[in-house]
Amino acid sequence: MSRRPDARPLSLIRESFRLHRARYVWGFLLLALTNLLALSIPRLLKHAVEALETKDTRALLLLSLTIVAVALAQALVRTASRLAILGASRRVACELRGRLFSHLQRLPLSWYSRRPIGDITSRAINDMILVRSFFGPGMMNLLNTTLVYVTALTMMFSMDARLTLYALIPYPLFMVAVNRLSRRVFAHSMAVQEQLGRLSSRAQENIAGISLIKTYAREPEETKAWEDLSRGYLRHTLALVRARGAMVPLMGIMASAGTLVVVGLGGRAVIDGRISLGDFVAFNAYLGYLTWPTFAFGWILNTFQRGVAALRRIGEILAEPAEDREPPSDGLDAEPLRGAISLRDLTFTHPGAPAGTDQLRKVTFELPAGATLGILGTVGSGKTTLVSLLPRILAPPPGSVFIDGRDVTGIPLSRLRHDIGFVPQESFLFSRSIRQNIAFAPRPFSEDQVERAAEASRLSKDLPLFPRGLDTIVGERGFTLSGGQRQRAAIARALVTDPPILILDDALSSLDAQVEHEVIENFKREKARRTILMVSNRVAALSWADLILVLDGGAVIEQGTHEELMRAGGLYAAIARRQSLEATLEEAS
Amino acid sequence: MTQHGSPPSGSHHDEDVLGKAYDARLMKRIYRYLLPHRRLVVLSGLFLVLVSAAQLAQPWLIKQAIDGPIASGDAAALVPIVTLFAVLLLAEFGFRFGQIYYLEKTGQSIVHDLRVELYAHLQSLSSAFFDRNPVGRLVTRVTTDVETLSEIFSSGLVTLMGDAVKLIGILVILVWMDVRLAALTLMVLPLLGFVAFFFRIRIRDAFRAVRERIARLNAYLQEHLTGMAVVQLFQRERADDEEFDTINKSHRDADLSSVFYDSIFSAIIELVGTLSVAMIIWYGGGRVLASAITFGTLVAFLEYAQKFFGPIKELGSYYSVMQSAMASAERVFALLDARPEITSPAAPRSWPAPQRGASGEVIFEDVHFAYPQGPEVLRGLSFRIRPGEKVALVGSTGAGKTTVVKLLVRLYDIQRGSIRIDGVDIRELDPRELRRRIGLVLQDHFLFSGTVASNIGLGDPVVTRDRIEAAAGAVRADLFIRELPGGFDGEVVERGANFSVGQKQLLSFARALAFDPPILVLDEATASVDSQTEMRIQMALSALLAGRTSLVIAHRLSTIRESDRILLLHKGAVREEGTHEEMLGRPGGLYETLYRLQFQPLVEASLPADLPS
Repeated sequence: MSRRPDARPLSLIRESFRLHRARYVWGFLLLALTNLLALSIPRLLKHAVEALETKDTRALLLLSLTIVAVALAQALVRTASRLAILGASRRVACELRGRLFSHLQRLPLSWYSRRPIGDITSRAINDMILVRSFFGPGMMNLLNTTLVYVTALTMMFSMDARLTLYALIPYPLFMVAVNRLSRRVFAHSMAVQEQLGRLSSRAQENIAGISLIKTYAREPEETKAWEDLSRGYLRHTLALVRARGAMVPLMGIMASAGTLVVVGLGGRAVIDGRISLGDFVAFNAYLGYLTWPTFAFGWILNTFQRGVAALRRIGEILAEPAEDREPPSDGLDAEPLRGAISLRDLTFTHPGAPAGTDQLRKVTFELPAGATLGILGTVGSGKTTLVSLLPRILAPPPGSVFIDGRDVTGIPLSRLRHDIGFVPQESFLFSRSIRQNIAFAPRPFSEDQVERAAEASRLSKDLPLFPRGLDTIVGERGFTLSGGQRQRAAIARALVTDPPILILDDALSSLDAQVEHEVIENFKREKARRTILMVSNRVAALSWADLILVLDGGAVIEQGTHEELMRAGGLYAAIARRQSLEATLEEAS
Repeated sequence: MTQHGSPPSGSHHDEDVLGKAYDARLMKRIYRYLLPHRRLVVLSGLFLVLVSAAQLAQPWLIKQAIDGPIASGDAAALVPIVTLFAVLLLAEFGFRFGQIYYLEKTGQSIVHDLRVELYAHLQSLSSAFFDRNPVGRLVTRVTTDVETLSEIFSSGLVTLMGDAVKLIGILVILVWMDVRLAALTLMVLPLLGFVAFFFRIRIRDAFRAVRERIARLNAYLQEHLTGMAVVQLFQRERADDEEFDTINKSHRDADLSSVFYDSIFSAIIELVGTLSVAMIIWYGGGRVLASAITFGTLVAFLEYAQKFFGPIKELGSYYSVMQSAMASAERVFALLDARPEITSPAAPRSWPAPQRGASGEVIFEDVHFAYPQGPEVLRGLSFRIRPGEKVALVGSTGAGKTTVVKLLVRLYDIQRGSIRIDGVDIRELDPRELRRRIGLVLQDHFLFSGTVASNIGLGDPVVTRDRIEAAAGAVRADLFIRELPGGFDGEVVERGANFSVGQKQLLSFARALAFDPPILVLDEATASVDSQTEMRIQMALSALLAGRTSLVIAHRLSTIRESDRILLLHKGAVREEGTHEEMLGRPGGLYETLYRLQFQPLVEASLPADLPS
């Protein structure tokens, strides 16, 4: 295992800032300039008022033109600063997402068994939006608020310190009030969320059990219970609305309250001749600038908290140690596999599983290169575990699994997976064309190779049924393949690489008897080319194997050729008899 | 050569991709929900007008202060103006609170109505509908989508109406104060209109592109994380890095272009606002000097102009909120429009009155049935169960046994033939009445979260506590229930995860018994249980079946032995029937083969019975 990478929120933040230093520095400088420009407008207003008092029309025109010029400059600079800072945040999110995906692809498969896919996706999408807000509007508003406060207050103090202090009196009061209200808002939102959760699980349970509800004719009672829950939700929401409904107007009148002070006390100051009428107007305008940054403060805090929390969740994944693997080119320098497989006294327990819950117990066999192995067994007997150890989907203990006499734990992963063709139990295909699905391994395949693989897996048989043949797009949004068609595509995907070792994990289960027979005939024809390991529940699919293992509870209880096992009259023979009975029943018309 | 590294070319139209922000047809439908709450709407509208009035009076007061006391140097005269200002502030606070509260209350009440209606509607839909629609999607409809729809009221209408009233108010005041200055100030409006029109389209397109690409990212991630084993086995990591990079970057570029238009748009709006300030100062200043207006009017003009441009800036965010709300409304209404396929006849026949010893006769006559888009499962199935008879149904997997049960309680309708109970076609009965009379125990022993008692009685007032306990006693479920903390009031967690398979089975027996149905249909569980539980279940079963017509899909030897008659279902029709002994006595028959397959151990006494067949 490699060392844990440093992915704490703080180092992620530092790194992202370093990468986009130029954009941030440039953006922040422009932002400062924007604010200076914006805050010069009340000063111009003041001069305009004074020009009015001296009846200087020329100055009035000049000042108006200056305001237009300043406004133009401000629009340009503000746009540029927003583009720099917000642009940087978009880039940070994009890079982080790319890094996250790349890292996810290199995590061991065992890691995925503990994680719901929805949770991981949510980190890459939803959390990334919070991160983006942190690096973009969050940062921008933090700086903006600070700048506006510093400059506006400086200007105001320079005009009249006493008036400034008075005008600011309402601010702390409002901040306290807003703070208290936002705590109430928070508490109520939690309650609303909880109730929403209740609604959601109720709906979930109801829909999952709908046939029971119908058969017991409980629909009215269920609707009634839902109505009660929904009413509770309404109650909680309205409590939230009351808290929020007080907060919004409170913020709205905050600005006006300052004006009230200015009108009352500032008006007096003008009358007393302490300040000019121009100061009075400018003062009012400055006060207007303070309103928004004051509201923004709570929002900024919130954005930062949520951003850091999101970064922590993303960092959690990034800190997971990736699977140790060498660069692919190095791995492929290793000698290609020929396909002789031997298991020596293999006992396997899932990592973290309690002692005595061995998935496999003392499994031993020898399979020469080019031979075929059949594996049959009860549910949970360890068949899938057994074949998963070869390409190291699960990590085998050292000294137990060998290919060509080499311990698989010592064979480079890229070589191992390059030379093993694997058809998993669930034939997962991707939303792309069938051709692209078959040529999934990143190697240059010719048209001919793809077509031959489709032929060998007998997928070719159904190609005329697809709207665009091999170029038909499959998957959730595309053409829906039947289970058997998917299985054959998955077989073709493994065959196209012409691997020295082919593993089929119950990969023929959805094929009808005729197609299964044809696929097996194709395997037989090229038998000497590769070693085949084949898990199946159907005796008919395994009978041609050179060696058949019967697994039960993780141990090999019978092994031999089909004829030997039939003669022995054990579990294998019993299953064979049962399956022939089933076939008889199936054929009865 | 087959391409590599090119992103998959599948189309990724997603639910999230949005359409219009305003859809007259949808709004008309939403309007119908608004009607019952019209008093609240009027009330909040009233508050809205009051809020705007209180807000818009403030600059006017400043004008009064400047033109009156400040100009004349009369400090004392300032007091009433300041006092009035303070009163207005308080009034604004109160009015606005009222406005927000009542409008939100309207919205939330409508959403509540809609949520309940949607849920009730969902309950009425047929099983075929639930087969087609995954649980997760339906849950989203009744929760998230309804919630998003509510934004039409809380964010959409509140903002829109509030802003509209305010803008109109400002216009009126400006014109009233000075027509010429007002005309000049408003000269920027056409410019604003043009800018808004030009950018609205671009911003909308940019946001749509962002959403589309987010959906692509989402789909790609979801798929590749799900298929990670295949990715790693085929060593696609680097190729996928590149593919993801392409999608990720295209999302970033769309994102950047939305930032671009958004930034320019808000900068221009701000610029236009400041332009009007400059014009007011230049032209208005001239008017002041010419004594056409007072200085106070000029200041008020500046204040009003500022209040005017604030709301216009918010238009963009309003637009995207409405867009997603409309998309949700569309989906919610589509669900409401789904019609139940199985309905009660207009004039349902009443359930035949029980005749002594002759109640509970079940007849299937030439029944044909196929699931939607599926092959025919039942092909001319006919059989008769006499009142009080115990019939076992056997057959290989896929023979159609479970389908028979589902059809009997009319979870699906048959395509041909008829199913009659006591001589009445079940399609002539109210399905709810039908289901009340047929006790059904399915293989999947579903328990609801709640208590043990609520799981047996299902909250039906007819099923009293005594009946619940008696039913549990009759199937011997009370033995373990009484040992639970809380006994009959003991907690059942979601899906009954805190009960064993055997216990769940006994609980569903008790449930069926508590409703005391004349006909009982049971799909016997295949899961193996220990021998003691097995014995208890057998005894419970006899208690359950005693004295009623029953149809049991049998998986136990004891069940087929004790039944009055066995029906062998094969390929959708009854192929053999009789008692166990009679049927076994026909060598080479289907029953004999089936018996050896299903009811005899695989290898005598040495092997687990859960082998896959």
